[in-house]
Amino acid sequence: MIVRSLSLRNFRIHQSSSIDFSDTLNFIVGGNGEGKTSLLEGLYFLCTTRNFKAAADNELLRFGEESYEVNGIFQDTTIRKARIYYSAADTKRHYLLDGKSITRATDVIGKFPVVLLTPEDHQLTQGGPADRRKFIDSVISQSNVFYLSTLIEYNRIIKQRSALLNLLREQRRHDYLVELDAWDELLVKTGTTIIEIRQQFIEEFNQFICEAYSHIMPGEEQPVILYPLLQGSTEIVTESIFAERLAKRREEEIRRAANLTGPHRDDFIFMVNNTALKTYGSQGQHKTFQTALRFAEFFYLKMKAGTTPIFLLDDVFGELDTKRSSRISEYLKTVGQAFITITDFSNYRFLAKSEHDATIMVSRGSIGI
Amino acid sequence: MIIPEPLQLAIEEFSKFPGIGKKTAQRLALFLLRRHTDDVNRFIAAIEGLKENLHQCKTCYNITSSEYCEICSSPKRDHATLCVVEDASDIFAIERSNQFNGKYHVLGGVLSPLSGVGPESLKVKELLERLKSEDVHEVILALNPNTEGETTALYINKLLRGLPIKVTRIARGLPIGGDLEFSDEATIGRAVIGRVEYT
Ligand SMILES: [Zn+2]
Repeated sequence: MIVRSLSLRNFRIHQSSSIDFSDTLNFIVGGNGEGKTSLLEGLYFLCTTRNFKAAADNELLRFGEESYEVNGIFQDTTIRKARIYYSAADTKRHYLLDGKSITRATDVIGKFPVVLLTPEDHQLTQGGPADRRKFIDSVISQSNVFYLSTLIEYNRIIKQRSALLNLLREQRRHDYLVELDAWDELLVKTGTTIIEIRQQFIEEFNQFICEAYSHIMPGEEQPVILYPLLQGSTEIVTESIFAERLAKRREEEIRRAANLTGPHRDDFIFMVNNTALKTYGSQGQHKTFQTALRFAEFFYLKMKAGTTPIFLLDDVFGELDTKRSSRISEYLKTVGQAFITITDFSNYRFLAKSEHDATIMVSRGSIGI
Repeated sequence: MIIPEPLQLAIEEFSKFPGIGKKTAQRLALFLLRRHTDDVNRFIAAIEGLKENLHQCKTCYNITSSEYCEICSSPKRDHATLCVVEDASDIFAIERSNQFNGKYHVLGGVLSPLSGVGPESLKVKELLERLKSEDVHEVILALNPNTEGETTALYINKLLRGLPIKVTRIARGLPIGGDLEFSDEATIGRAVIGRVEYT
């Protein structure tokens, strides 16, 4: 997938910006608050129907304006036009794909696979289990629609089950306990499917993370992701094992009115040379791992989706030393098209720019050359 | 522009209908306003008749104008097979497929703790009573293949365990997350024929 062009109207600080992109690297250069990240935001928005900063529409709308618009032209085997339009009058956001209105996000997700690297990625290795689950789930979901729908169903079961556990805490009725048995059965079936797919994914993804890591930090360091199933099992999790574990904690679940067992509580452990990154990793190792995760995601999706994902890198060189930065710069030459924001070229002499690459200067919400 | 109150009231009532937004409600209200008085009176009578002349069948909770519905009163229907559905509209859908000649039982919903629907709000007790007094050999659970429908089917299956009754679940020929009501006859027909027994 290649992004041909993007236009923003009254989006963030941009009044009216149109950009034609290069098929290779697109360096988006500008100071803080000048509107360079908004270009990535607009692209991500079109690819996912979601805003990666979780901003509300009235924050996205340029101050004092009535409506905003984001338009993108994508090219694969055919040309596809995506458009987001928001009007403050009816506070409604519309998504149009080739002129047709789209109402479900699942109709867009996966059509334009996208990989986004941001400074917030430090959460991937330093944050809690939920940050890592979100990453893993989103990579699988983008390449496996069945996984996405299973995950949506699983989350629905979790919500229903927690409401029922609440009722049971107040009143221990027999018919509610039988109902809980029914929810348990569905939880176990759906949950086991999620665990199996995740497990299979991690096995495959580990090859990609090794490859990516070695490009940024060649030689001595060996990364690997571990997935302790159901909060710590090393054996294969079958439906009957899951059911057994669930039954053991039933009393505790009712007492605390919470879902205590299942893949929604699992964590993924990032290891470098057989030690846990989270506890023992150096600053450089963390940064390398975070960056490698995104490159691995890119190449994994490229293989699975059968089309090259759109690669967005927001301030990737920000906290990196020159050695790692120049390796990443070399590595970027292998991805095809990418969008990279940087504050200033003069600080990035290591950047290996080729003649096809584009430089897009952004200042005060306007595009220069 | 200020909308006159009688019109406003009508718009508000229309917008309470499922799938009807503000704009459509306004169109419907204005449409009625332009109609001939006789037409409007017929419309009013039809709506009044809904509530006055229709109620739930005393046996299966289908919609009927008499005490017992047409299906329950028919001697041609197979008494030994009972099809459990969420809503009376599901009966219409299954009847259109012409693949089923047994009787029905309408639950009046599916289990959903989030919306406050528990076993006590469904006609589950009534189903168990029927199974005691009627000579039923097979119960078909024809609930929508979504999360709540699936759980309700599992729940009823648990209650019927131990009874000398075969319990089947209509095959998942239906699209996941789909509604029986909106599925075409052929799909529903196939799903009823290909039902599977609970183990
Ligand atoms: Zn009846």
